[in-house]
This record gives sequence, C-alpha cells and structure tokens, in this order.
Amino acid sequence: MPIEKSDLLQGTLDMLILKIVELGPVHGYGISQRIRQISKEVLQVQQGSLYPALHRLEKRGWLAAEWGESDNSRQAKFYKLSAKGRKQLASEESNWNRLAAAVGHILQTAE
Amino acid sequence: MFGWKSLLRRRAPDAQLDSELRFHIDKLTDENISAGMTPGEARRRAILEFGGQQQIKEEVRDVYRIRFLDASAANLKSALRFIRKSPTFSVTVILTLALAIGANSAVFSAIDAILLKPLTFPDADQLMRVEQYNPKTSSPLHLVAPVRLEDWNRLNSTFHALTGYYWENVSESTGPLPERMTRAWVSPRFFQVWAVAPVLGREFTPDEETLNGPAAALISDRFWRRRFNAEPNIVGKNLRLEGHLTPIVGVMPASFLFPNREVDLWCPIPAGLSYGPPRQNNWFTVIGRLKPGVTVTQARANLATVQAQLGQQFPKTDAELSVGIEPLKETTIGDSRRSLWLLFGSVTLLLFIACANIVALLLSRSTQRQHEISVRFSLGAPRGAIIAQLLSETFLLALIGSGLGLFLAAAASDIFRSLAAQLPRVEEIHLDARIVVYSLACSVVVTLLCGLVPAIRGTRSSLSGSLAQSSRSQVSGRNPLQWLLVGIQVALAVTLLAGAGLLLRSFQQLGRVSPGFDSNHILTFELSMNWSETGDMKKLRQFTDRILEKVRATPGIDAAAISVGIPGVPFRYQTELKLIEGRADTEPKIVAENRFVSASYFAAMRIPLLAGEVCRETDGPPTVVVNRAFADAYFSGATVIGHHVQALNLGYSGPAEIVGISGDARETGLDHLPVPTAYWCAPIAEPGTFFLVRTRNAPMTMAETIRKQIHEIDPARSVYDFAPLEQRFSDALAENRLRTILLSFFAATALSLACVGLYGTLSYTVNVRRREVGLRLALGALQGQIVRQFLLQGLGVSFVGSFAGGCLAAAFARVLSGMLYGVSPTDGATLSSVVLIVLAVATVASLAPAIRAARVEPMNVLRDE
Repeated sequence: MPIEKSDLLQGTLDMLILKIVELGPVHGYGISQRIRQISKEVLQVQQGSLYPALHRLEKRGWLAAEWGESDNSRQAKFYKLSAKGRKQLASEESNWNRLAAAVGHILQTAE
Repeated sequence: MFGWKSLLRRRAPDAQLDSELRFHIDKLTDENISAGMTPGEARRRAILEFGGQQQIKEEVRDVYRIRFLDASAANLKSALRFIRKSPTFSVTVILTLALAIGANSAVFSAIDAILLKPLTFPDADQLMRVEQYNPKTSSPLHLVAPVRLEDWNRLNSTFHALTGYYWENVSESTGPLPERMTRAWVSPRFFQVWAVAPVLGREFTPDEETLNGPAAALISDRFWRRRFNAEPNIVGKNLRLEGHLTPIVGVMPASFLFPNREVDLWCPIPAGLSYGPPRQNNWFTVIGRLKPGVTVTQARANLATVQAQLGQQFPKTDAELSVGIEPLKETTIGDSRRSLWLLFGSVTLLLFIACANIVALLLSRSTQRQHEISVRFSLGAPRGAIIAQLLSETFLLALIGSGLGLFLAAAASDIFRSLAAQLPRVEEIHLDARIVVYSLACSVVVTLLCGLVPAIRGTRSSLSGSLAQSSRSQVSGRNPLQWLLVGIQVALAVTLLAGAGLLLRSFQQLGRVSPGFDSNHILTFELSMNWSETGDMKKLRQFTDRILEKVRATPGIDAAAISVGIPGVPFRYQTELKLIEGRADTEPKIVAENRFVSASYFAAMRIPLLAGEVCRETDGPPTVVVNRAFADAYFSGATVIGHHVQALNLGYSGPAEIVGISGDARETGLDHLPVPTAYWCAPIAEPGTFFLVRTRNAPMTMAETIRKQIHEIDPARSVYDFAPLEQRFSDALAENRLRTILLSFFAATALSLACVGLYGTLSYTVNVRRREVGLRLALGALQGQIVRQFLLQGLGVSFVGSFAGGCLAAAFARVLSGMLYGVSPTDGATLSSVVLIVLAVATVASLAPAIRAARVEPMNVLRDE
C-alpha cells in the first residue's frame, strides 16, 4: 500500500528530495520516479507536493537549478545539491537516524 | 550566460514554471504511450494523473511571494499587541525616544538650515564677501572705498561683477509720525551680483544710478505687506525719505533679505560717490559673484594682483592694503558653526544615553519573555523570524517616538529664535521633508542600536536550555552587559554635565566681571542719521550738541553722551596710530581700538579719569583721551599726556593731543580684557552712533519723554531702538546663552536618564536575586548588609562610569576652548563637583532598590518556591 504525502512526517519529503538530488542533477519528473522506484512503490509523491517543495528548497539555497536538455532533447529544469544543501542533508539524515533508532528502540524494548 | 538566464527567470517565473510542469506531463505521456495507449489517450491520462495544475502553480507562487510584507504586517500587529500589553514599559521607551530623537532632529534642523543648505540666492556658492584690510592692524571693519570697488570691477578677470552697499536707518514721514526704516544703499551691478529680480515693478535704470539722477526705491516684501497691505498698484507711489520724495519702482521677493532681515528698502547709489578723500573713505560692504568655474583661490590670486597694481599707482593709500575673499555663506554663518556642532554632538550623546537605557530595559524585558520565546522556538519558528518580530517591536516604539519627536523639531525654530534671535539664518529653520527623513533614519538607527543586541541575546539560548531554565531555580543573575550599559550612561552624562558645568561657570564669571564702567541705569537708543550729513561737520556738531543738551536737561536724566559702539558689546575699530613726536623703530607700533565719543561719555559711563583732563569739545585742534592699558603698553610709565597721535586710515582725524588717561573699560565686550584704546572726542552723531543716557529710575521709563524731546528739535528724525544697556549685553551673549541653556538641558536630561537606567537595572537585579536575599536573611544576614551590598553595586558602577566620563570630558575639553571665560577647560573644581553631583544622585537612585531588597520577607520568598 503506497504511503502518500499526508502520511509522511513533516520535513521528510524535503530530506528525500535532497537525498535523491545528491545522486546527480535531476528534474522533477525524475525525482518522483526515483522515489517511487527506490521505495519499491511504497512512497508516492504527489506533484502537488513535489513542485512547491522543490521551489521552497531552491529558494532556501539548498538546491540549485539549471535548465538543460533531457534525454530526448527536450528542455527540462535540472536540480542539483548546493553546498548548503549538502550540509542540511547531512544534519537531517543524522537526526532521522537518531529518531528512527530511538523509536525503534522504544518499540523493541516495550514489547 | 547563466547569470543572464537567471535574471530572465526571475522576471518570468510563471513561464518557466509552465514549461517545467509541461515537461513532467510530457514525460508521463511518453510513459503512457510506451505502455500502449494512443497519443491522445496517453495525454489525457497524463494530465489526469498529474492533478490540478493551477493549484500547484498557486502553491509554487506562494513560495516566491514576497513574504516580507505579510510577515511585516503580522510583526507590526503583534508589536502593537505587545505595546498595548505593557503600557508602562512602552510609554517609558516612547517618551525617552521622543525626547532624544526630537531634540536631535531639532538641533539637526538648525544645522541643516544654517550650515548645510546653500544660501537662498541663485547659485549662492558663487557669492563672495570681498574685503580690503591692512594686515598690520586687526580691525574687522573691512569696508571698501567706493572708488576702489570701481577699480576692482574694472581690473579683475575672475568676478562676474562686484557690488557694494551700506545701510542706515532713515525716517519716512508720509505718515502722522516719522517712521524709522532700514535703507540699503546699493551700488550699480547689485542685481547682476544677486541674480534676483523684483517680483513687482523694475530694477533701477542707469539714469537713477548716476549722481543727481532721479530718486528711486525698491521696497522689501515685508515692508510692502506691513505698510501697504500688499497693494498691487504700489509702483509709482511716493515715500518721503528725510524729506525727499522718492518713488517706489518695485518690490523685491520675500526671500531676499539682504543686507539683513530688517531691511525695508533699497536705493541706488552712484558708483564712486564719496564724502571725503575718495581712497580713504571706506564704507562699502562688498559682495562679488564669481564667474562660473572660478575657484576662490583663483579669485584671491587675481584680486591680489589687481590690488598690487593699485598699490603702485596709489602708494600712499593702497600699498599696504590686502584683499580678503571668503564665501558669503561662511561669513554669514560666522562663529555659530562651532556652537551648533557642539550642540549636535551633545544631543547625539543624549541619544546614545537614551539608547543604552532602552537596551537595558529591553534586556530585562527579554529575560521576562524568555518563556514566550522558547515556546515559539519549540513551535518551529526560525530564529530570524523571532528576531524580526522583536526588532519590529522596537522599531514601532522608535517610530512612534520619532513621530512625537517631530513636534519638538517643529518647535525648534521658535526655540532657537527665542534663545538667540541673532543667530544667522534662524528664519530658515523649519520642519521639512529632510528633517522628517532624518528622524526616520534616527529611528532606524535606534532600532538597530537598541533592538539588535537584546533580540540576538534573547534568542541565543538553545531550546533545551531555556526550557530547563526556570527563573525560580536561578540563584543569582549576573548581567554584566546591563551594568556596562549603566556605566556608559553615567560616563556620557558626566561628560555632558562637565561641558554644561564649564559653560555655566563661564557665565557666572562673566556676571562677576567688573567692566570698568557702570552699566546700571543706562538707556541706549539711536537716531536716524544720514551719511550725506557728514558733509557739513559743523552743522552736525551743532545739531548733536542741541540734542544732548536737551536730553541732559530733562528731569530724571543725569547725563547724556554719544559713542560709536556700545561699551561692553563686541565692536572693533582698531587702527595703527602714529606718534607725531616720533618713535624709535625698535619700539612696537601703536595699535589701538578707537572710540568716537562726546566729552560727556566718561561722566555718563562713570569711567574714572586717572590723569589729565577730559578732551575738549572745541572747534580747535582735536584732543584724545587714552586708557591706562594704552599708556602701560606703549609708554610704560613715561609721560603720555602732551604727546600727539594721528590715526592712520581714519581719513578725517588730524593729529590730536593726548590730554588725559582714563581707567580701563571693557569696551570690546564683557568677555574681553580691556585693550589699548583711544577715545576721540568728536561730539558728532553719525549713522551708527549710539546715544547713552544715565537715568535716575528704570531706564525704559524715560524712552517716551526722550522721543518727545527730540521730536521737538527735529520732527523729521525718528528715534528708535531704545534698550537698557544691560539688555544689550544679554543680546550680545545670545549665542553663548543658547549653547549654555541647551547644553544644560541636555545634560540634565542625560543625568535623569542615567539615573532611571541605574534604578531600573538595580531593581531588576534585586528582583532576580530576591530568593537568594531571602535565603540569606533567613540564615541571619542583617538588613544593613543587604542594603550596603546593593548600594555599593550601584555606586561602584557609577563611580567607574564617572571616572570614565571625567576622562572623556578632559579629552573633549578642547571642543569648548574659546567658548569659556575665566575657567579652564579642564577645571578641577567643575569636574569634581560634577562627579559629586552624579554620585549623590546615583546614591538616591540606588537606595530605593537596595532598601527594597532588604525588606524581602524570607518566608514569602521561600513559600514561592
């Protein structure tokens, strides 16, 4: 069963986008594809959340954007990670891991 | 390339967004086609799958929408709520700022009008005051002979034109009583130089500017309104000036107030007119307009060459003369520049004190608001947003404060005018857009100065820290920053007080000065005279004698005299004197102040005669009385009486015998030591001669009687400008008084602000440490110990602040030099009494919180826990 945006924790989508973009410059369509593929269809990002998020991250300076040619020579907007975004991603990842570990620990111990 | 593209993108974000989204849909369509759909179906499905495009676009646009305005509006709304919630705090801050910013804007409006703005003439920076002077004497009366002005006009190459004028008071007699008017006589080229044309009527014709040409007068806007009620058909009406019918040919604009703001009319004077030896008869004040692009230095060099040329041509009269050129604005402003900057400096210190005070208030406030701030943090507000909110609170307070302060600035003109009417350009001070912008800028600076530190500090503590911290479990609040601010306030207040103290001491010393004459019960006035009357000296002398006799014979009047220059009011008329008997070249040249007085002057002013006799008012050879300073300086004990002196550059005084030595009087100003002076007995009233009358009762009560007496002798003369001598002293010291009063006011305000700051900070400290105090009292501490501890804390900071302030005052003492009389800028007595006053006030301010601390009920505090 796919998890949709409203179920994602606040801020998690941002972290996922940053993580995907870390792999290399990619356009919006590519990001939604990869999130779906990598999560094995569990996570599905709605365009209605994706694009505002992309522009928000770009405005904060975590993403840089540039227009370029996609595979079939169509113009597409490619996003890539800025230095600031890389730092942000690192801190979010570590926070996430701590949280996940803590939550996991509670779930295991309380059983 | 990328930069250009990004620029474009910023300008057309919508188009960019469209293509970005279209690309996504295209990709989805491709996907569907490869899944086997027809292109049409594939596209329809893709659009369906993609969802509401408009909604997405709207959300993306929201990201970019300038949130600033919305956020500011929200911030201002919350700031308003904050102000309403804490009225006492807000009112304190607003009033402090209204006073500080208002006083600052008020002084700035004076600086702006007097020092910064150009004079109100077209291309005013080309206007120069041009003077002739003899470098060997130091008389500041650098008037120019009309013929010389014509020579300069003919020979120079740097001036567009040079014009001369002089003014005198004249009586106009078309009304029932003669009315005194101020008339400026202007030489040709007057309008060329000023580049100002009459608003009504015409300029003078060349005909009117020749000797014995038709009479003509231009009148001032002020006179036109006062006397003729701004009657539009004024041109062609006649005035009766000194008995001569003079037609009005035009009205000058209201802004044209030259030579002074009292001017009523301008009349043409022929070029080169003279009532004595033409090259020694100096009476024009000369104004020139530089050619475009010519610098003052070039003009100085040019006129120096011209004058050197004249020196060769007329060695007797012109060889020793130099030409001085100064921008008209500089000579108009004169010495008030230093006073104004002094006031601006002190009012800016006052603003800093106010800021320090408010920072301290905000700091203690933000500690109280710690809880609110940490809650906002935990709700996810970014730090920037909280800082912005705190700053907008401060800004709103500063804005209201500066708005209220503008009322003070609007009154500045009246304040300055009432304190120092003689201040140049004082009528140009008014509230305008520049002042409003200035006070807005002030409020922004204040916001940053006051708001930034508390906002940053208030939001610095990390979330966990501030949640864990509770003011109750806090044992002791050390707040070095707050105490530093108190110290700064005390230091600045001491600096201002020291300055005010020195100025006040100077005033006090001036009051104690013994001027060498008796200024009580002296009434002074002027009579309308005309320079052309000096053509017949004999008649003038008889006329003056008759007036003096008649006034002297009036009951209630003991003595009457005349003098060019009022004793004790700054006026210089210094020349070199030649000793007819000869003088060794090794001895210093005789340079003396000249006073032209009637023989009755010494008795009327009660200046004692030390040796010899008073000068004789006969038609015989002239006689002169010198003062003791003169005798000491140039004859050092040898016999003075019997020598003959002649004044150089005083055309009409021949050799005169020294017949007496008088006591020293402070002729050139109460704050100037007596200088060597020669009193020439010339019982001749000229324009600018003052009548001095010793009355038995209050001087002004005699004014009407005197006016009637003189009217009987000559109904065409107007008698005007009655004033007791003492009032003239006070007018002469107007600028001195202006800076003394204002600086004292600023200093007193500074001291009270500093005390409020000290009181507030100590109260806050006591409040924070209530628990600790309660505990100590419970454990047996004596109340006295507690009082002493807090008192010493307050006093310690004040002491350090006073010390720093003393050093600061000593460092800035130079600023005051030249403004002080009878007291040194680093006067120990003044400084130490200022420090004592500050410490005394600081003790009072610290005592209340300290006592409150000692009254803490241990049980109450512990129960609070």
